[in-house]
Amino acid sequence: MRFALGLLAAVLVGLSIGGASALVLSGIWPRSTLPAGIAGTSIDGWRTDFAIGSDAADPYTRARVARHGLLALERREAIYFTRSRDERGRPLRQDCRYRLSGMGQAARWWSITLYDADSRLPMNTDQALSIDASEIGEGAWQAIIAPKRPEGAGHWLSSRNADNFDLTLRLYVPSAEVLETPKLALNPPRISRLGCTMAQGS
Amino acid sequence: MRTFLTLFVLLAAIVVGHLAVLYGAPGIIMHSAMTAMEQRGLPQHGFKLAPRMTPQTQRVVRASPDIAYSICLFDFSDGVDAVEIEMAAWPDYSSLSLYDARTNNFLTFRGEGERFAMRLLPPLSEPEGFSIPAPTKRGIVLIRRLAPDEADYRAVEKIAVKDSCRAIRGGNAR
Repeated sequence: MRFALGLLAAVLVGLSIGGASALVLSGIWPRSTLPAGIAGTSIDGWRTDFAIGSDAADPYTRARVARHGLLALERREAIYFTRSRDERGRPLRQDCRYRLSGMGQAARWWSITLYDADSRLPMNTDQALSIDASEIGEGAWQAIIAPKRPEGAGHWLSSRNADNFDLTLRLYVPSAEVLETPKLALNPPRISRLGCTMAQGS
Repeated sequence: MRTFLTLFVLLAAIVVGHLAVLYGAPGIIMHSAMTAMEQRGLPQHGFKLAPRMTPQTQRVVRASPDIAYSICLFDFSDGVDAVEIEMAAWPDYSSLSLYDARTNNFLTFRGEGERFAMRLLPPLSEPEGFSIPAPTKRGIVLIRRLAPDEADYRAVEKIAVKDSCRAIRGGNAR
């Protein structure tokens, strides 16, 4: 009887450990600001996995994308890069201001959207949660990420109510060069921290 | 011997638990998302244009505020012979994407400014032309249209009413 109870306990403990480890390793739990805990490709801090959206994705990627990017497109149609740290590797935070700068992308259309730690648009009414190619135009561009609209800033991404956040760069209908040699063809935007309002890490 | 057996059972349970959660999670997450959509009034076999994506209207993770989404849920588990799908023409970027119950994006067609029509068949059916079998009985059809501002979204509203997603039973549309 005691031995049987021991086996039952081993089964329950084992299932719990196994289940929990799958949740952690796939990025489903605990909640993370790095949905793309993505092991695939990293270009200057922007991470992606070209298997997203396809049945060729490994089970960890599929589970992670189901949690953080449900209904994503396969790579010929769109690719998604995510970044949750600035250029010095510090997490992106609501209480800091950042300069986001870059160039156009080799794609039919592109955008950069700010998401909170739950992979949702942060709950504010600023109507400044993304910038996109139609707004930016051709050539070099800059935008400010801050919880309040900065005076004189042309392009602004609002981080109000975002806490720790990340950015998703979407390229719709990326060029063949981006798909084949992304490290050469992508123009990864830069994120530099301008300052913080709290003492922590400022 | 008993210690060895207990350790073996423990390790086996870890592996089983790990694989069960890993392979089961996408299906569970997709099922939850589809159930939530149904509970919010999204009909089966009929497109519905989602409200312009904002923090207040978002229903799935990582929705893009620059895209107008039209969604149709399909289900072959109740005698549906086919689902006829049509995406109305949109002058800017548009795509029609189909997802199975395991979250796989099994088909995507780009609009290219033209109307697009296809027929979705039950799993294991023979494909023929634009008649394509679904990998699973249930899933989601999603139309994306580039609409970065309010005026674009209002234009999509006028176009999206022409989208259709109809169940065919016994040769008849329903």
